Amino acid sequence: MRPFIWNYAQHNEGPDAPVPYAYNSAAQLNLLPDGRPAISDRELLLALSTTTSTAGSQTHFDD
Amino acid sequence: MTVLILTSHQDVTTDMVVAELHERGVPLVRLDPADLPGEAGLSAEYVSGDFHCYLSADGRMVSSKSLRSIWVRRPGEPAAHAPEPSRWLSAETGQALYGALCSTTARWMNHPRQADQARLKPWQLRFAHRSGFAVPPTVITTFPRVAEQFAGQYGKVVVKSLSGPPRGEPAIALPTALVEPGTDFAGVAGGPTLLQRYVPKRADIRLTCVGGRMFAARKVSASGQVDGRYGDTGQVWEPAVVPDRIARAVHDYTGLAGLAYAAFDFAEDAEAVWWFLECNQGGQFGFVELETGQPIAEAVASWLAQEPRGPA
Repeated sequence: MRPFIWNYAQHNEGPDAPVPYAYNSAAQLNLLPDGRPAISDRELLLALSTTTSTAGSQTHFDD
Repeated sequence: MTVLILTSHQDVTTDMVVAELHERGVPLVRLDPADLPGEAGLSAEYVSGDFHCYLSADGRMVSSKSLRSIWVRRPGEPAAHAPEPSRWLSAETGQALYGALCSTTARWMNHPRQADQARLKPWQLRFAHRSGFAVPPTVITTFPRVAEQFAGQYGKVVVKSLSGPPRGEPAIALPTALVEPGTDFAGVAGGPTLLQRYVPKRADIRLTCVGGRMFAARKVSASGQVDGRYGDTGQVWEPAVVPDRIARAVHDYTGLAGLAYAAFDFAEDAEAVWWFLECNQGGQFGFVELETGQPIAEAVASWLAQEPRGPA
């Protein structure tokens, strides 16, 4: 039987957009292509929503 | 003394804290349990009544004796990146990693035992009430008739998931949703269903508590908006003052729960009452800091940087 809450499920739109930064193990930080830490670009992080309470909720339930 | 951070590489919220620790010159090792075994390694030896453990990640080695604190931020499933992952290998790896780390005297944000308990929604509601929060009437049931009676009693009710959306593909979201009058509750028999009295709200509140330091943020709700996480309303998070009554309740709740870190969600009604919705022991704070400028990452780093207590 289909659980009740599934009547309210929504499909997330498409796969996550690729992020323009990559993890650097030496710095233990994600860096932009120009070498700056990703967190130095506040507007970028807000636009990507990678720090919101729904980010990554497919793999983690701690939001 | 070193800070151990268990998280995934992609988590930029972790980066905000790592940068703070770098500024203070605090040594740290960032390790994703998903990389163990493989990119990360572990060796724990029981000698003379104590475990001595070494962890390695990305060429860094840390001894359990030199750990000052452990931050469980957003760790991957143990062994998820192994060449031949399996539930068994994850269980074995999790036992080895968390078992060894639980044998240290390092301070935890948050300890896995407290985290597991704090994730349980029924537990949250009971202890929220005990701590002095206003908690909306709630039912969790597999009986359609009980659900129907609850909805009839309170008029407007919402349904929400107990454990969040299912993991994996296809990606599904389960936002908190309003249950329309006349809804057929037969599906309640198909799985435990949490219904809660709807709180008409004028704002969402996210209160982040870090080692007793509280950062409240408020976002005005759109008319009829149920789940503040979904839908762009054009509103932004702004710093909010924590009422004394709420501060006392947060203090009591985190004390009862044994949480060094907690993110509380409230619905603010027209009378300015903050209704407890949930407390997420690992809740996100990056978006709040980015929008409000509240120094939450600094608070986390300060807590992690403290020297450990003596041997247990």
